[in-house]
Amino acid sequence: MPLSVDSSAVHIQNFAPGFTTTPGRAPTSVTVHPVALFSILDHYLRRTDAQERVIGTLLGKRSENGEIEVRSSFAVLHSETEEQVAVDMDYLKTMYELHHKVNPKEGIVGWYSTGSNLNTYSALIHNFYSQETAPHQAIHLALNTGVVEGEQAGIKAYVGSPVGVFPKPENCVFTPIPCELRFQDVERSGFDLLTGTAASPTSTAAHPTTDLEVLENSLQSVSAMLDRVLSYVRSVLSGEVKGDPAVGRYLMDTLGASTDDLEKNGFNASLQDTLMVSYIASLVRSQAEVSSRLALVTAT
Amino acid sequence: MAAALAASLPAPQAAPTPAAPMHEAIPASMSKVIDIEAEIPLKCVQLDGMVVSKIIKHSREAQGPAAHGLILGLDLDGILEVSNSFPLPNHSSDDDDKSVKGVARYQGAMLRSLKEVQADDSVVGFYQAMTLGSFFNQTLVDTQAIHQEKLRHGGVVIVHDVSQGARGNASFRAFRLTKAFLDAYKRNNFSTPSLISHRLTFSSMLEEVPLKIRTNALLSSFLGTLAEVSGPSLADAGPSAAMSSAALPPSFSALDLGSSSVSRNLEHIIEAVDSYKTEEGNLAYLQRQIAREKARAEAYVAKRKEENAGRVAQGLAPLPEEDVSRLFKVPAEPSRLESLLLLGKIDAFGKSLAETSSVGLVKIDDAVRAAHGSMGDRGRHATPTRATRPGAAAIAGGVGQPPNPY
Repeated sequence: MPLSVDSSAVHIQNFAPGFTTTPGRAPTSVTVHPVALFSILDHYLRRTDAQERVIGTLLGKRSENGEIEVRSSFAVLHSETEEQVAVDMDYLKTMYELHHKVNPKEGIVGWYSTGSNLNTYSALIHNFYSQETAPHQAIHLALNTGVVEGEQAGIKAYVGSPVGVFPKPENCVFTPIPCELRFQDVERSGFDLLTGTAASPTSTAAHPTTDLEVLENSLQSVSAMLDRVLSYVRSVLSGEVKGDPAVGRYLMDTLGASTDDLEKNGFNASLQDTLMVSYIASLVRSQAEVSSRLALVTAT
Repeated sequence: MAAALAASLPAPQAAPTPAAPMHEAIPASMSKVIDIEAEIPLKCVQLDGMVVSKIIKHSREAQGPAAHGLILGLDLDGILEVSNSFPLPNHSSDDDDKSVKGVARYQGAMLRSLKEVQADDSVVGFYQAMTLGSFFNQTLVDTQAIHQEKLRHGGVVIVHDVSQGARGNASFRAFRLTKAFLDAYKRNNFSTPSLISHRLTFSSMLEEVPLKIRTNALLSSFLGTLAEVSGPSLADAGPSAAMSSAALPPSFSALDLGSSSVSRNLEHIIEAVDSYKTEEGNLAYLQRQIAREKARAEAYVAKRKEENAGRVAQGLAPLPEEDVSRLFKVPAEPSRLESLLLLGKIDAFGKSLAETSSVGLVKIDDAVRAAHGSMGDRGRHATPTRATRPGAAAIAGGVGQPPNPY
């Protein structure tokens, strides 16, 4: 899913002269895991007053087709003044080694910074990270936290290439590449939990919820969707709105599914199984309880 | 230029305002909620959004249920705010001493590094991934016992159920060891009399601490932007507006009718029951051995007494009463910790099975109704539905949830 407002930018593949012999392909798209995103936001919250922006390292994997998967990130110390910019290299090395111990599959793929302005220092830092990720190209994620009024929160991804006849590290072309948020199905539930929490007025949520509550919520949202479809169909039937044939086709595919095989005792058998399982479950639990109580009774 | 870049930063600024007496530094409004001596008991654990996602990621990626790591944070007025976490490397099976040292070094380095970027660096407990609700094991108990000894407030363990997360309900729970269990653990005595005097069963080993999830303002606003539906979202909007206008389409994994996890759950139960039976067999064997040794010792004492009585009657000096315990080694009472843990495991599996099946019943009921509804024949709204509904409600109620109101 997209991470920022649609832009009209054309994603140009910029093959820099220095990278023609790059093994693998140049990065064509970036996917970001929620963990990386949340870590960046947390780092931004914990910045010191003096810091305009924070930077850090992105860890992840490259795939053959040029897609870069950003799986996690960690903060890196840096300082920016009028005259110079410095990145704590030792810190980066230590942190990378620590992460590498737990997650050997993740390598450095690039760097992030908050705020969406690219400047000379960005080019310098990018040049530095390009050495870290060599022979691959480094990517840069610019995350706009949306705290500045009038700016939309979002993430933009760039690849950088040297520019000019005599390339200098402080000159760099940042070419935007597509970037989206992605996670595994398993992680989805956690993400839903957080979006639900974020939407609540106090930003906290009691926990844990039971499976039944989750199911109830899903059913309610399905029911709301059905209502929406129904009101649309009604308005088409009454002639208020012109019907969209594509929608009609989708509706037919979704709602016209055959339930014949389900009718044939499928449900009954499954129902009996479930009841049996439920019985076994309570049997096992009571046996375990009895057994633990009996252990407390001595023979004498 | 690169050299300027690479130049490492000057040493981090000197530690902020070296420890002035804390009492003066605390403003009056906060003096009630900050307890230096850790006197306010923990009421609640509050988990930050980032920690939630970090734990889920680590649990998913780690092989097996062995994923564990440390949680960092602070406590304020009885609420333990967990603000960060990091995974620990897996125990490698080669020599333990080395790997323990490695982990300690890793932990120290990580904490130092986190401190440098102003993240919280005080350990408040650890987290552990589990499957199907079962988290009782020896390592958890050992680690938590050490933590409860060393950490301020004793620390908590947060368990995350991977399999429940896969079913669409990310679940986190916080636990600590009960006083009774900790006492028994310190004495390293889990024999039957000790269990009785401590009133220990598997359900009284751990106490649950209420847990809340919190997202900070920045994260909330960012997630809000992601989930925002751009454009009009009214019910009468055109259908084209519904086409993935939201960055986050809703997920319905909770509605999946598949019951693949049930068979795995049953297998786990059988395995746990089997190992419990083996353990019980071992215990019974030890008990018999104890009884036999005791009987032999008693027989010996009785015989010696009889002999002495005989000798006294004959006017001879009685043989000295020897120390029986040196002659007969009565084995110590076996530890029942293992069987306690196994029972806890069985119970947890049973509980998750009960939950799955109760949810399954509701789902089947709904699916049957939906299937009949889509046939367009409301009249056939049918016997199985009516028959199942009270059952579903009863079972749902039986595991402690209110019956669903539809």
